[in-house]
Amino acid sequence: MEHLMAFLMIFTHPELLMLVAVGTFAGVYVGAIPGLSVTMAASILISFTFSWDVYPALALMVGIYMGGVYGGSRTAILLNIPGAPSAIATAMDGYPMAQRGEAGTAIGITTTMSFFGGFVGILVLALAAPWVSEFALKFQPRDYMLLAVLGIFLVGSLSQGSLTKGILAGALGIAIGSVGRDPLTFAERFTFNMPLMEPGISFIAVMIGMFGVSEALLQLHHVGQPAIKQKITRIVPSWSTIRKHLPLSLQTSSIGVIIGALPGTGGDIAALMAYDHAKRVTKKPSRPFGQGAIEGLVAPETANNAAVGGAFIPMMTLGIPGDAVTAIMIGALYIHGLNPGPMLMVEQPNMFWFIVGALVMANFFMLIFGLTGIKLFTKIVAMPRPVLIPLIMLLSIVGAYAVNNSITDVYWMLGFGIFGYMMRHYGYPLGPVILGVILSRLLDDNWRRAIISERGDLGRFFGGLFSSPLSTVLLLAVIAIFVSQTPIWRWIKTKLFGRNSRSLEP
Amino acid sequence: MKRVLIGAVAALALGTGAALADGYPSKEIQGVIQWGAGGSTDTVMRSVTPHAEKTLGGTVVMQNMTGGVGAIALNSVASKPADGYTLLMGAENPLLYKVMGLGQKDYSDFTPVDILARGTAVLVARPGVPFDDYKSMIAYIKAHPDEVRFGATGPGGLPSVVTAMMDSVEGKLPVISVPYDGDGPALTALQGGAIDVMPAVLGAALESIRAGKMKPLAVFEEKPNPLLPKVPAVVSFNEDYAKYLPWGPFFGVFVKKGTPEDIVTKLSDAYKAGAESPDFQKLMDGRGYTIMNISGPEAEDFLSKWQSNTTWLLQDAGLTKASPEKFGIPKPGN
Repeated sequence: MEHLMAFLMIFTHPELLMLVAVGTFAGVYVGAIPGLSVTMAASILISFTFSWDVYPALALMVGIYMGGVYGGSRTAILLNIPGAPSAIATAMDGYPMAQRGEAGTAIGITTTMSFFGGFVGILVLALAAPWVSEFALKFQPRDYMLLAVLGIFLVGSLSQGSLTKGILAGALGIAIGSVGRDPLTFAERFTFNMPLMEPGISFIAVMIGMFGVSEALLQLHHVGQPAIKQKITRIVPSWSTIRKHLPLSLQTSSIGVIIGALPGTGGDIAALMAYDHAKRVTKKPSRPFGQGAIEGLVAPETANNAAVGGAFIPMMTLGIPGDAVTAIMIGALYIHGLNPGPMLMVEQPNMFWFIVGALVMANFFMLIFGLTGIKLFTKIVAMPRPVLIPLIMLLSIVGAYAVNNSITDVYWMLGFGIFGYMMRHYGYPLGPVILGVILSRLLDDNWRRAIISERGDLGRFFGGLFSSPLSTVLLLAVIAIFVSQTPIWRWIKTKLFGRNSRSLEP
Repeated sequence: MKRVLIGAVAALALGTGAALADGYPSKEIQGVIQWGAGGSTDTVMRSVTPHAEKTLGGTVVMQNMTGGVGAIALNSVASKPADGYTLLMGAENPLLYKVMGLGQKDYSDFTPVDILARGTAVLVARPGVPFDDYKSMIAYIKAHPDEVRFGATGPGGLPSVVTAMMDSVEGKLPVISVPYDGDGPALTALQGGAIDVMPAVLGAALESIRAGKMKPLAVFEEKPNPLLPKVPAVVSFNEDYAKYLPWGPFFGVFVKKGTPEDIVTKLSDAYKAGAESPDFQKLMDGRGYTIMNISGPEAEDFLSKWQSNTTWLLQDAGLTKASPEKFGIPKPGN
């Protein structure tokens, strides 16, 4: 009963409800602007709400978080510039839809599916948090490494056209990710003794440059052409569309919750993995992937919003942050005199139920703010290019600067922008570069941890892989996915089934 | 934003005027926090500063400047005029910059305004390990060389210093050291069983110890900590630790060297009063920090002792890039 009251607290206090609404609204727009991230917004809020009570402060942060994760999809669809790393996969099919004049439909689907994913995440948080966190803790360094290897196979899904070019782009990303002082030993890597290279290359700067600036440069080719006319007749997707994608969205939401709950991974990896999953399991997509498939929107958007609920699981049950935003929230709890940790759920269960309540409300507000104002947003793409291109450039520069207040990041961003433009010209996909940068640390750090833990002994390392069921399952998944992408598999299949089934082709 | 703008305009108008304590502070003071929002340095500074402002009679606008293990913030404050209008709010790391090859400047280029508080190191183990206290752990490690996995956070981090202390007192311990990005991820790994033992700051492990998710083996103090009265102090196992203690990460407010003495005094008084406020004391107690609240020569002594102890420990453990000798850091006891 008491828990129910805590859960309902958000509904009975209009001022808290207002704060969630304000937070969600701000989050949608902060998330939509490339470079302005939820993490940044949350860290500004922590100083802003320092003297507040804990409930209003958390209400605002929860709103920003939920809204921000969703907001990243806006610019991904409209401008091909992901507003946040977790929206990279959304751009793959969202932008082609906007190019066909279906931006309204794309945003509608994204919003509904984000709502659905967010809801699954919250449900798991509310009902199964202790078990999920128990499971998440089981992940050893070698499991994170296998997960990263699994992630690297996404290169196949993210590269349209030549796989070789995709692999090259992915390798480049991994190399970019390893620049700077290695956080485990402080050894300098690829820094050429320049102090400027020591902190490494900001991943956000690479992302904004590669997607934002290169897009602006590419648009220069079409300056004279009229803008695409957007038809915004149907925004809310029909019930049959939702029902059709229900099985897929349940699967991708589960991916989102689990990846979000793992302390080492967040919404960005979840969304990419979900996209890959959708590509694998969807036999007949509405359109080929990469050309505006609805499934290509459903998967990443359900996953990244489900990851929000997931990230709260280790935070609430163990005091361990699930990602960068929950890490800041843990700091906020400390400031407000609470001690986040395994005892929080026991001593202050009301805090848990309050957050669940706030998340539910934030999810509803996200749906409302997402479905309204679409007309205004789609006007952005309809803007004449001489206005649009400088606008993209401006957003990119502001975004890159805002990450670390560093002008160096702006230079990196411009450099990678020009480089990305060249890559596009020669048919190299950009997605794998970003994927490589995201996974670089995960792979490298955990491989080293895993092998150091086994005293550098490969035999013991492989022994360890088979001693834990989790590692074995992950290893088998890695092998299965690898084999299914090679010609041997196709050959075996033709031999076994005697006919060429092209539908499973990756 | 408006406040910042007004501050900037005021700074332009008054920036070149001679800084005298009579009129100090005549404009907004900038506080540069070495670490990110929500971190422990951030929490400490944001909770003490509002109380210090009351005594100071001025405003301190705080901003986080991260990167380079805090060196970017340190260098930025060092490049500003020594007029008391830019404060560095930092932790212990700069004292290791020189020997770790992370920078040319450290707190010797600054005057301490107030060393606010100090953390306590605690040795924790995952519940499944076959030892229950420090003594049985040492015996187990010696009987099973290269089997126990210790968490680490890179050279210069708290675990590396504690491990170096243990090596110097007990002789080189044959353990596997597994590096993590910080004590948060390492303590997570400890609960998941990826590592067995982790030297951590008490505040980070306290809640998990209370919940029984981690086994405390010893606190690195001369006496048990009031928050964990049942956990023995490491000195009770081996008296040789006494020469390195008290040791722990600390938080302090600094101004650039050369700041007029009366301004430093004014700031010190303000922060001293701030650190005495019950709100701040409660926050520090809850997180397992010991209030120090020292300034002047006492703070200078603390800094030089800390630096000499720690850098030479790291040097003897072979973890430094350059010998402390090169920078004129004396050997402890000399």
